[in-house]
Amino acid sequence: MASCCSLKVLTLFSLFIVPGAVESNNIEAKAGQFFSSGHTNNWAVLVCTSRFWFNYRHVANTLSVYRSVKRLGIPDSHIVLMLADDMACNHRNPKPATVFSHKNMELNVYGDDVEVDYRGYEVTVENFLRVLTGRLPPSTPRSKRLLSDDHSNILIYLTGHGGNGFLKFQDSEEISNVELADAFEQMWTKRRYNELLFIIDTCQGASMYERFYSPNLMALASSQVGEDSLSHQPDLAIGVHLMDRYTFYLLEFLEDIHPASTANMNDLFKVCPKSQCVSTPGHRTDLFLRDPGNVLITDFFGSVRKVEITMETINLTAPMVHLAVERPVSELKTESQSYVDQLPVAEIIHQKPKQRDWHPPDGFILGLWTLILLVFFKTYGAKHLKHIF
Amino acid sequence: MAAPLTLLLIVAVTIRAVLFRSSLAELIPERVEVVSPLNAWKRVVEGLALLDLGVSPYAGDVFHETPLIIYFFHFVSDYAEIVFMMADALTAVALYLAVKDYNKTVFRKQKYALEAERYPLDCLELIRTPKEMYYIPLKVAMFYLLNPFTILSCVAKSTCGLNNAVIALFILCTVKGSSLMSAIFLALATYQSIYPLTLFAPALLYLLQRLYIPVNWQRSSFWLFTTQYTFMYLGSLCVMVCLSFFLLSSWDFLSSVYGFILSVPDLTPNIGLFWYFFAEMFEHFRLFFICVFQINVFFYTIPLSIKLKEHPIFLIFMQIAIISIFKSYPTVGDIALYMAFLPAWNHLYRFLRNIFLVSVVLLACSTLFPVLWHLWIYAGSANSNFYYAITLLFNVAQILLVSDYFYAYLRREHHLTHGLYLKRKDGSEATLVLK
Repeated sequence: MASCCSLKVLTLFSLFIVPGAVESNNIEAKAGQFFSSGHTNNWAVLVCTSRFWFNYRHVANTLSVYRSVKRLGIPDSHIVLMLADDMACNHRNPKPATVFSHKNMELNVYGDDVEVDYRGYEVTVENFLRVLTGRLPPSTPRSKRLLSDDHSNILIYLTGHGGNGFLKFQDSEEISNVELADAFEQMWTKRRYNELLFIIDTCQGASMYERFYSPNLMALASSQVGEDSLSHQPDLAIGVHLMDRYTFYLLEFLEDIHPASTANMNDLFKVCPKSQCVSTPGHRTDLFLRDPGNVLITDFFGSVRKVEITMETINLTAPMVHLAVERPVSELKTESQSYVDQLPVAEIIHQKPKQRDWHPPDGFILGLWTLILLVFFKTYGAKHLKHIF
Repeated sequence: MAAPLTLLLIVAVTIRAVLFRSSLAELIPERVEVVSPLNAWKRVVEGLALLDLGVSPYAGDVFHETPLIIYFFHFVSDYAEIVFMMADALTAVALYLAVKDYNKTVFRKQKYALEAERYPLDCLELIRTPKEMYYIPLKVAMFYLLNPFTILSCVAKSTCGLNNAVIALFILCTVKGSSLMSAIFLALATYQSIYPLTLFAPALLYLLQRLYIPVNWQRSSFWLFTTQYTFMYLGSLCVMVCLSFFLLSSWDFLSSVYGFILSVPDLTPNIGLFWYFFAEMFEHFRLFFICVFQINVFFYTIPLSIKLKEHPIFLIFMQIAIISIFKSYPTVGDIALYMAFLPAWNHLYRFLRNIFLVSVVLLACSTLFPVLWHLWIYAGSANSNFYYAITLLFNVAQILLVSDYFYAYLRREHHLTHGLYLKRKDGSEATLVLK
């Protein structure tokens, strides 16, 4: 859709031909960059997994990322926001209908136009995985579905309490890194994403992206295995910590991003160094096919309409070829992916042949009955023996 | 007396058969008062099924029976009901014959004592007559077969019935005087559960008495017979243990059977004293208290045998009672065995002091067991303290019963030597107190 629009726009403006080889080259380079990422729409899945008042900061984390993502252009119809608890209307909130991310109530991330798709107890591991893989019952409304296709760039943000290899949902269940990796593989096999950015702000968050094996995944985490992610600042009026450090500095970074900014992923990796975050943020790019330096922040955080106003004609064949070449490379990659052989299925299906019956050993029977006969004849005298012989 | 005995057997078998066919047959094997982890039928079936699957039945904490039981039930597990009914019948017949023979011995001893004029003249009313002793064996068999505890134990198909049969056969062989068979059955009983080891002393005493060998440390005949009997006993025990090794080619059964009985790892509530105590025990003290509780069972043997060395059968009765009260996993089947002996001591009736209290407490506790279990486990409005209180009360009543009979027996013996109407030195009336 976006590519058709941009093509129409370009052909419209190609009427205004501006002579200038240099400019046309520049324009062509810029146009080339239009299709360099290969995505045509953006989706965001933002999940807060913890409930209770003292986990206020997780809801604030999610809402601040929601705010940035919405500001940079992704519409509500393309955002799946899952909040496990309602902090704005919590009985303990001294300022109802607000969720603040900065102390002294500087920034209210709740606002008037927050659309929460999964609220309260609907935020479960099952629902999360169903949203990701698309296996929802037919009665699910569109606002609760991730209707992505193979040209979608998806941002997935998770926050809550986690540990080495798991993330806790709702204080009663957990999702493991293996499950998450398998869900992403299902998404890849079902062509549900073009590229996926996974950000997680929990304790030992780096363990959650350790097991990814699908292509085109980039992951960021707020802390390494064995480290805890710390919260930022409490607000004494509200009485709880308002944000986690990593997301706080991420939010500060994102506030500087506007829809036309050219900041790339390498800048994102520098967000919240150890001096500010106390934990060591980590990232993983080995599964990502493009160089992170070429990936714009707005490729994931914004839904940028690729509009370039020009007065020149642009020859669009070259970038298209470039794009076409890129596609088969990614096609090749899919063949080599396979499900990790996590369980020895052969051993599970195979059952030992059932031993039909057990028989006592012959030596035992012989010994036992010899003894019984001996005792019998000893007690009752050997005279009975003559009846036998 | 064969005809009344046969009638009794038929009545008992009918009652058990009727219960086997009724809906109670599913309910009773579940009750913890009737089955314990040692002798539950469910576990026997489980162990045999494990064996069919090629796994040792002692792997895991399911099966705690001896290998000879495995061998036995391998063939007869389909006819289990008949087997247990026959075991009960066998126990009753063995007790009948044993008590008949014992009565003859008692009567003969009494005759000799009368002829030797050893009894004071005023205690002639304590002398037992053949007329009153005629129906005692039948009553003993009746007490065993028609006891609700025995019937429950049989319907539950608890292997306690088999243990009782072995002990009854041991008593029969001891009373008949065959020391080899007595040693073999005692070894079998000890092999099944360790506690009948304490019955070694009374059996030895009775056999010595029968052979007219006085219990004198200096006499060589005493030591000769003792070593003979000990060798027979230990030899048969060794033979049984080694034979069990050859059944499964492993020594697993030693820790699963004897280790289980002695170290009490399973704390399912039962009518015994161990479970509650060890449920709240710190690990630090567990070994100490296990030793204390287990020594408690064996501890009474020596003092009681010294006191009752002239009366070994009463000693057997007391020992069986002590075993069923203090063993690690008692069930009502164990209680039924010593209750069967009570008609043999009918003549002590006039000296028993606590009959009313004991019988009422036993009845009340027996009815309260399922009530408090239901309240604790199903209704949730009671807790384990309630059930343990009833367990404690039940055991206290049993101890009171045993000590009452002990007192009555000793008092009668005292009267037989010192006369019925006791007088203090100044001539006023005195009475006997058990200190």
